[in-house]
Amino acid sequence: MNSGTSLQTGLERVELRALVVGAVALLLCGIGAYSRPDEFYQSYLFAFVFWMGISIGCTEVLMLHHLVGGDWGLAIRRLLESASRTLWVMLVLFVPILVGLRHLYLWARPDEVLHSPELQQKSFYLNVPFFLVRMAVYFIVWLVYGQLLNKWSTEQDRTGAPAIMRRLQSLSGPGIVIFGLTVTFAAIDLVMSLEPHWSSTIYGMMFIVGEVLSALSFVIVIAMILAEHKPFAAVTSPKSFHDLGNLLLTFVILWAYIAVAQLIIIWSGNLQDEIPWYLRRTAGGWGNVVLILAVFHFAVPFLLLLSRDVKRKARALGAVAFGVLIMQFIDTFWLIEPALRQKQFHVSWMDFAGAIGVGGLWIAFFAWQLKKRPLIPLRDPRVEKFLLQEERA
Amino acid sequence: MATEPLKGSPHLVPAPLIGPGYDYATVTDKISSIVLTQKTPRSWIFGFAVAFFLLMVLMFAIGRLFLLGVGIWGIEIPVGWGWAIVNFVWWVGIAHAGTLISAILLLMHQEWRTSINRFAEAMTLFAVSCAGMFPLLHLGRPWMFYWLFPYPNTMKVWPQFRSPLVWDVFAVSTYATVSLMFWYVGLIPDLATIRDRSKRRVSQKIYGILAMGWRGSAAHWKRYETAYLLLAGLATPLVVSVHSVVSFDFAVGIVPGWHSTIFPPYFVAGAIYSGFAMVLTISIPVRKVYGLEDFITQRHLDNMAKILLATGLIVGYGYVMETFMAFYSGSPYDKFMIMARMTGPYMKFYWALIFCNMVVPQFLWSTRVRSNITGLWVISILVNIGMWLERYVIVVGSLARDYMPTMWYRYSGTAWDVATYVGSIGLFLTLLFLFLRYLPMISIFELRQLVPPEKRPTAPGATRATVEG
Repeated sequence: MNSGTSLQTGLERVELRALVVGAVALLLCGIGAYSRPDEFYQSYLFAFVFWMGISIGCTEVLMLHHLVGGDWGLAIRRLLESASRTLWVMLVLFVPILVGLRHLYLWARPDEVLHSPELQQKSFYLNVPFFLVRMAVYFIVWLVYGQLLNKWSTEQDRTGAPAIMRRLQSLSGPGIVIFGLTVTFAAIDLVMSLEPHWSSTIYGMMFIVGEVLSALSFVIVIAMILAEHKPFAAVTSPKSFHDLGNLLLTFVILWAYIAVAQLIIIWSGNLQDEIPWYLRRTAGGWGNVVLILAVFHFAVPFLLLLSRDVKRKARALGAVAFGVLIMQFIDTFWLIEPALRQKQFHVSWMDFAGAIGVGGLWIAFFAWQLKKRPLIPLRDPRVEKFLLQEERA
Repeated sequence: MATEPLKGSPHLVPAPLIGPGYDYATVTDKISSIVLTQKTPRSWIFGFAVAFFLLMVLMFAIGRLFLLGVGIWGIEIPVGWGWAIVNFVWWVGIAHAGTLISAILLLMHQEWRTSINRFAEAMTLFAVSCAGMFPLLHLGRPWMFYWLFPYPNTMKVWPQFRSPLVWDVFAVSTYATVSLMFWYVGLIPDLATIRDRSKRRVSQKIYGILAMGWRGSAAHWKRYETAYLLLAGLATPLVVSVHSVVSFDFAVGIVPGWHSTIFPPYFVAGAIYSGFAMVLTISIPVRKVYGLEDFITQRHLDNMAKILLATGLIVGYGYVMETFMAFYSGSPYDKFMIMARMTGPYMKFYWALIFCNMVVPQFLWSTRVRSNITGLWVISILVNIGMWLERYVIVVGSLARDYMPTMWYRYSGTAWDVATYVGSIGLFLTLLFLFLRYLPMISIFELRQLVPPEKRPTAPGATRATVEG
């Protein structure tokens, strides 16, 4: 019981600190927004998309676990659930983007649209009212799903009714399909439309995989930290980390596969509507980012995760996952910022302040949600079975 | 912590993977008897006769092709790739399920794969043979096929490595080789079982040679397990790479309807989709004819149906993205291409494919449909048809209506196209029937691992099942 309370106070401490740090960083950004609004919105969009990715990714992994089962999800389920709750924070934090639409998107500036026949052609889709409607639909869908997944899970804790497991499963099957579509279109709306002349059919899938990768590496890092505490250690074993490691490896490979597939096709097509996307992302210093991503987002974690030892040791796996999370951060930056800072690679202090600000509030909310419920869904029949097996072993 | 009483919940006990009452001996008897003692069923003789007839049709069609050239097919510039390439992609796709079942599901510890992996692998092998035939026949001078390989020659001709068609040569030949190795290595212990149980001298000799001196010692098993896992690891990337390369054949070109970045994952998903459909199409009648309902259970069919649904949804996602981006991109050519698909000369094919690949699989959401064997069989056939149509719409639809209206052409296959296609089905079925008759179609030793512990012998001589794979 002792370590349980210390975990509780630990989470409280994290919550408070994250909240303070986040608020201060956002305040600084607010000041930056006054002096250099364009730069602020560029940085803020990046921060928003990165943290939003973890919330969405966690919800998707959660549904995947409900759908297909497996021991790997038992330990991280509460982490995923708490992360899916942060969608509420993201809803509030979406407001600055609404305010800065004109700073970010060419299609949201009437004067630009007036002079560009191409933008006029696309205005059936890329226009402000329709954008707002779509964003509202996405958020409603995501929040409803997050709400139900959490509510039923809490109900399972209370009543232990076996039917709930099935109900969560039936919710998750269609949920994955619905998320697949909404996340795709959200990625198109929020990020791809920064370059309205460019399009790529694999884009949505690229985002989904990236977000799941962020989510997995995030929860693995948290699980590594928690695994040192007593109650949580009961549901983690080298095998569960091994499974999570394999899942991480799969998504690292999938990420690289999608990135390379798009590159080969666009590069060999070499068409004037398509190739500028890569030209912008390799010119003026951005090319170094590509190198970093190729080596540290794919090659290094790929080789490390092939090792059984790395996957079975919580600490080693946690370190790799942390690296992947950092790389996801850089990858998100590389996907967004070259569209807005076309001439030269450039990092603003607000890129960090924004990410810390949004992230601080996100983590505070996450910690608050995490400490509200037991860290393990004890009444889930699969947890019972797992504990029984462990006891026998 | 655990203050709750711990008990196994009834909801966690999955449906059995093997019928009740089987032990080691009866499993072996049941499967090996099909090869050794059972009288060949009449349906086998009938089926083989039909398949063999179709194979002869293929031989005739190929003979004529060699004499007269590819002109006997309906291809005409700009539609240089007609049925032959459609068939190629269709067959390669079908091949994928075998590798997925045997390699990926093995690595994922999915025990249920055990009773379907052997013939899914065989199916892979036969489908790759059918697939590989088409690009070669399409060469115009097929007897020069070895020019595709980079070898030093006096002509100083070297393949164009920037062309995905050359990547295809390597992808498909690697795939065929690894699939063959994987299938054969998996067969060795069972070939030894058949050797030991056969009464006739000839079959003892033949199976004995094929079993490569297998004695079933602990050292044999240990090496076998290592080799099998390594081959599974090697085969896994091939599931993805082969069809990605096939998709590059199209996507690397700049033809509207081909040049689409989603092609690689969408083709891979489509391949697995059609592959599982084919496994269902074949396994449902086979389990009925040979009375294998206890080995290929309801749960197997249910799992395969779920994979069918999941991959079908990814394929559907591909259609949605293609259509949306055609309008979003603002490119008049892309928009025209989609409109031509939906309302042009090939619209019947397009809507039929949407029905078969997007609408029909939605029925699989329902447990009732998944447990209805006839329904499942019909769905699997419709999916096979749909996937053929999809390739037809992609290959022909895009070529027939490209950038230059003066170049437009209304393509349709000739009787020789049909004969070659139907003939390739004959080749596939002939090989399959021979396999069913002469080799154990279900892995005997792996199936024994599914025998419940209380039915397993306790003597140390036969406890291989207790060694974890």
